[in-house]
Amino acid sequence: MSRGHSLSGAWRWLREHAVNIVAGLVVFYLLLPIAVILLFSFNDPAGRYNYTWVGFTLEHWAHAFSRPELNEALVTSLKLAVLATVISTIVGTMMALALVRHQFLGRRAANFLIVIPMATPEVVMGAALLSFFLLLGTFSLGFETLLIAHVMFCISFVVVVVRSRLIGFDRNLEEAARDLGASSFETFRLVTLPLIMPGIFGAAMLAFALSIDDFVISNFNSGTTVTFPLYIFGAAQRGIPVEVNVIAMILFSFTVAAMGFATWQQRRAEKMTSVRPEQEAGAGIPTGAAAAT
Amino acid sequence: MASEKDPRRITALLAVLIAAVALALGLAACGGGGGGGIEGGGEKEAQKVKLEGEPSGELTISNWPLYIDKKTVPDFEKASGVKVKYIEDINSNEEFFNKMQPLLQQGESGGRSIFVLADYQVVKMHKLGYLQEFDKVGLPEVEKNLVPSLQHPSFDPNRDWTVPWQSGMTGVIVNKDSAPDVRSVCDLFDPKYKGKVDFLNEVREAVPLVMKCEGVDPDEATEADWMKAIEKLKGAAESGQIRRFTGNDYARDLTSGDAVAVMGWSGDAVQLQADNPNLEWRMPTEGCMLWSEDMVIPIGAPNPTAAEAFMNFVYEPEVQANIAEYVNYVTPVEGVKQVFEKNDPELAKNQLIFPSSSFTKNCSATPVFKSEEEEQKVIKAFDAVLNG
Amino acid sequence: MRRRVIPYFLLGPGTAWLLIFFVVPLYYMAKLSLESGFVGSLEFNWHWDNYKEALSEYDTQFIRSFVYAGAATLLSLIIAYPLAYAIAFKAGRWRNLMLFAVVAPFFTTYLIRTIAWETILSDESPVTEFLHAIGLVPSGHILATSAAVIAGLTYNFLPFMILPIYASLERIDERLIEAAKDLYASAAQSFWRVTLPLSAPGVVAGTLLTFIPAAGDYVNAQFLGGAGNRMIGNVIQSLYLSQADYPSAAALSFVLMALIMIAVVVYIRFAGSEALMGEENAP
Repeated sequence: MSRGHSLSGAWRWLREHAVNIVAGLVVFYLLLPIAVILLFSFNDPAGRYNYTWVGFTLEHWAHAFSRPELNEALVTSLKLAVLATVISTIVGTMMALALVRHQFLGRRAANFLIVIPMATPEVVMGAALLSFFLLLGTFSLGFETLLIAHVMFCISFVVVVVRSRLIGFDRNLEEAARDLGASSFETFRLVTLPLIMPGIFGAAMLAFALSIDDFVISNFNSGTTVTFPLYIFGAAQRGIPVEVNVIAMILFSFTVAAMGFATWQQRRAEKMTSVRPEQEAGAGIPTGAAAAT
Repeated sequence: MASEKDPRRITALLAVLIAAVALALGLAACGGGGGGGIEGGGEKEAQKVKLEGEPSGELTISNWPLYIDKKTVPDFEKASGVKVKYIEDINSNEEFFNKMQPLLQQGESGGRSIFVLADYQVVKMHKLGYLQEFDKVGLPEVEKNLVPSLQHPSFDPNRDWTVPWQSGMTGVIVNKDSAPDVRSVCDLFDPKYKGKVDFLNEVREAVPLVMKCEGVDPDEATEADWMKAIEKLKGAAESGQIRRFTGNDYARDLTSGDAVAVMGWSGDAVQLQADNPNLEWRMPTEGCMLWSEDMVIPIGAPNPTAAEAFMNFVYEPEVQANIAEYVNYVTPVEGVKQVFEKNDPELAKNQLIFPSSSFTKNCSATPVFKSEEEEQKVIKAFDAVLNG
Repeated sequence: MRRRVIPYFLLGPGTAWLLIFFVVPLYYMAKLSLESGFVGSLEFNWHWDNYKEALSEYDTQFIRSFVYAGAATLLSLIIAYPLAYAIAFKAGRWRNLMLFAVVAPFFTTYLIRTIAWETILSDESPVTEFLHAIGLVPSGHILATSAAVIAGLTYNFLPFMILPIYASLERIDERLIEAAKDLYASAAQSFWRVTLPLSAPGVVAGTLLTFIPAAGDYVNAQFLGGAGNRMIGNVIQSLYLSQADYPSAAALSFVLMALIMIAVVVYIRFAGSEALMGEENAP
C-alpha cells in the first residue's frame, strides 16, 4: 500500500535524498563566511582596508604575529579562556553531579538558577555586572572582572552538557563495580569519571569557545583590557588588518584539531563501554531498557 | 571493563586537574596581565607634573587606532631608553571616557600616562580635575614648533594641559565616478543617491555640518537650530536616504561601492585612494569642521617624565614628518612642510596635511554647547535618530 | 549522613559564584534603574519614570527586536531541522564529523563572521547579484536592511538550534519509527506523527536558545543594519557605554528581560514544560 510505488524513479530518488541535499546546502551556508575569511586572509590591500579583493599574497600568513597590540589581545584572550575553562568546568561538573545524582532540598531551585543565565540576553548580563563592579569598587575593571564574568556565563553551559552526559549513563556499570568490591570513591574514579570524561571534555571545549569568543559581556566589563574580540571591534572602525583574518583561521584550525582529538577520544571511550550491540547499529536505545531486555 | 592502564591514567588526570585548579587560583589572585597593577604613586593628588631628571622606565600610551606610523615608537625607545607600551584602545571619546571615569575618580589612570582625545572631551576631563598640568621645561620642541593657529585655543590659552596630536577636517568623501557633483553636505540629501550615503555618528560633526549647509553658523546656533538640523537628519534616515550612520566604517561602504558619497575625515581619503583612486575628499562649499585631538597627561599617570619626553619627541619636525606621512591629517608641527619639500615635494603641497588658511576659511571649530541642559537635549535627540 | 551533605558540597562553589556574580548584580541593576542622574551624582529616589520612558521612547526598538528575533528563530528552525535530521538518521559513521562541520565555523570569532557577512551581502557581491537576478531581492540591497540583520541573527545562532534538535532526535528509539511503518504509515506520516513530536523537547530548547540571545543582540544590527534597523540591544549599549545614562539603561535592560520572560512563559505553556527542566528521566 506504500504510495512510493506510483512515483517515478527520479522523484523517488529526490525525495529519499531531499533531506541530505538540504543538509548539504546548509553545510555550505555554514561554511560560506569561513571561506570568505580564509580568502581575505590572503588578500594584499595597498591601504589599510581589507574590504575588496586586490591580490594574492602569503605575506600576512608569514607575519601573522607582527602586530604587538593584536598579539597582546590574543594572549589576553587565551589566558582568560584557559582560566575560565578550568574553573567553570570543575565547578560545573561538580554541580552537574549533584543535580543528577542526588535528591535534596532546593534541587528545583538550583536547576532554575542554572538555566536563568542562559536565558538572559548578554547585553543585560554585561550591563548588570558592570553596575555591580562599579558600585562595589573592590574589583578594578580589567582581567579580574573579565575572568569573573566569563566563569559566570560558562558554568551554566558546562552543567547542561555534563548533565546530559550523566543522564545517559548506565548506572548498572557502577553497580557492577560496587558488586565487585569497589568503594564509592573508587567507583567514581575508575568507572564514572572516565566514562563521563568525553562529556566533561566537551563541556570544557564549549566553555573555552564561549570565553574566547565573548564580545558583549567583555565589552562592558573589560575596563581598559583588550581581548581579541574587543581588538577586532575597535579595529573594525578603522580597518581590520589582514593579520586578524589569519589569526582567526589559525584559531579555527586549532579548535578543529582539538575537536578532532576529542572525538577520537570519545570513540575510544565508547568502545570501552560498548555493552550494547544495538548501539553499534545506531539505534540509540535509552540505556535502562537495554539492560532490562 | 576498566583495563589495567586506566586507574593510573585517571589518577594522573586528577592530579593534573588539581594542579590546574591550584594554578588557576594562583594566577587569578595575581590578577593576570592587562590593566592590573595600579600602583597609583604618591602624586595622586598632584595637579602639576613633576619632572624627575632623565626619562626612564616604562610608558603606556592610549591612542586611536592607526594614528601613528610604525617607526616613531621604536625610534623614541631607542633615543630615550624608555620602554613604550602603545595601546590603540580609544575608539570613541565618550566610551573611553566612561571606561576611565571610575578610575580617574579615584585618582588612577589605569597605568596610562598619555591619552589622546578630542578637544571637547579633554575639556570635560579638565573640568573634573582629571588632568595634570605640564612642566613646560620638558617640552621645548612643543614651545618652538607648535603652529601659531593652535597656540592659544580658548579652552587652554597657554597650552598648559593639552598638546595637539593631530588636527583634521570633516567634509565629504565622494566616488568621483558615481557621484561627481557632490560638493556640499546638503548634496548628500539628493534623492539621486538614496540609500548610498553615510553620515557620521558624531553629534558635534554631523549636525553642525548640516546646519552650515543650511546657512546657520554653528557657533551662533540656538537649541532650536540644532533640533531643526536633527529633524532633517531624522527625515533622511526614515526615508532611507541615509544608508547608515557610521564612525570610521564608512570606508567599508565606500570601498565596496555600497556608498557613493559620505561625510568623512580628511586623513582617511589618502588611505582609501591607495586601493581606489576614484575616491576623493572634498572641502564642502559651505566649509568643513575643524577639530583637534590632544595629548593629555591624566592624574595618577605612572611616568609623567617619560610622557613629556614623548610629547616633546613627536614635535621634532623629522619625527612628525613620519607621522604625518602615514596618517595624512593636519599636522600641528611647524617645520614639517620643509622636511617634505626636501624629501617628498608632492606631500608638501598636500592641502589635506598643510591646509592654507584660504582653504579652510569657511571651516568651523568644534562647537561648544551653551549649557549642560542643551548638551543633554541635543545628544539625546541625535541618539534617538541614530537608534532609529 | 555524609551522603546528605555531599550534594551541597558539590553545588556550593557554583551556586555561590552564580549568586554573587549573577543574582546580586541584577539586584544592583534593579536599584540603579530606580535612580536618576549621572555617574558621580546618582541618587536613589524610586524614579519609576525611567521605566515609563523606557517603554514609551523605545517601543519601536522593542517591537523591532522581537520581530527580528522571531523571524531569525523561525528561519533557523527551518534550516536547522533538516540538517539535524540528516545527522541523526542518515549520517551513520560520519555523524561526529558532521557535528564538527556544524560547530566548527563558530570557532572563528563572532565579530569576524559577522563582518564576513558584510562582504557576502554587499551590494556588489556575487551572492547579492545572483539573488537580485533571480528576483528575490528587488531593490538590489541586502546589506543595511532588516533582511541582512535577520540573516546575520539566523546564521550566528544556528548551532544553538541544531544541537538540541539533534540531541533530541538522536535519542529517539528507531524501533518506534519502524513500528509506525509496520502499521502502514508512509514516510511522511511517520515523520509528522512520530519523529516530530518526539523531537519536540529539542525544538523547544533550540528555539528558546536562539530567540533569547537574538532578542538582545546588537552586533548584527550594528554591522549589517542601516539607519532604522537598530535593536534594543544597541540602545542599551549606547546608553551604557556612550551616554553613561546608567539608570535608563538599567531600566531598559529589565524591561527587555521581563518581556523575554513573558514570551518564554507563554511559549512554554504552549509547548510543554518537561522539555526545559531536563531532569533525569529514565524512560
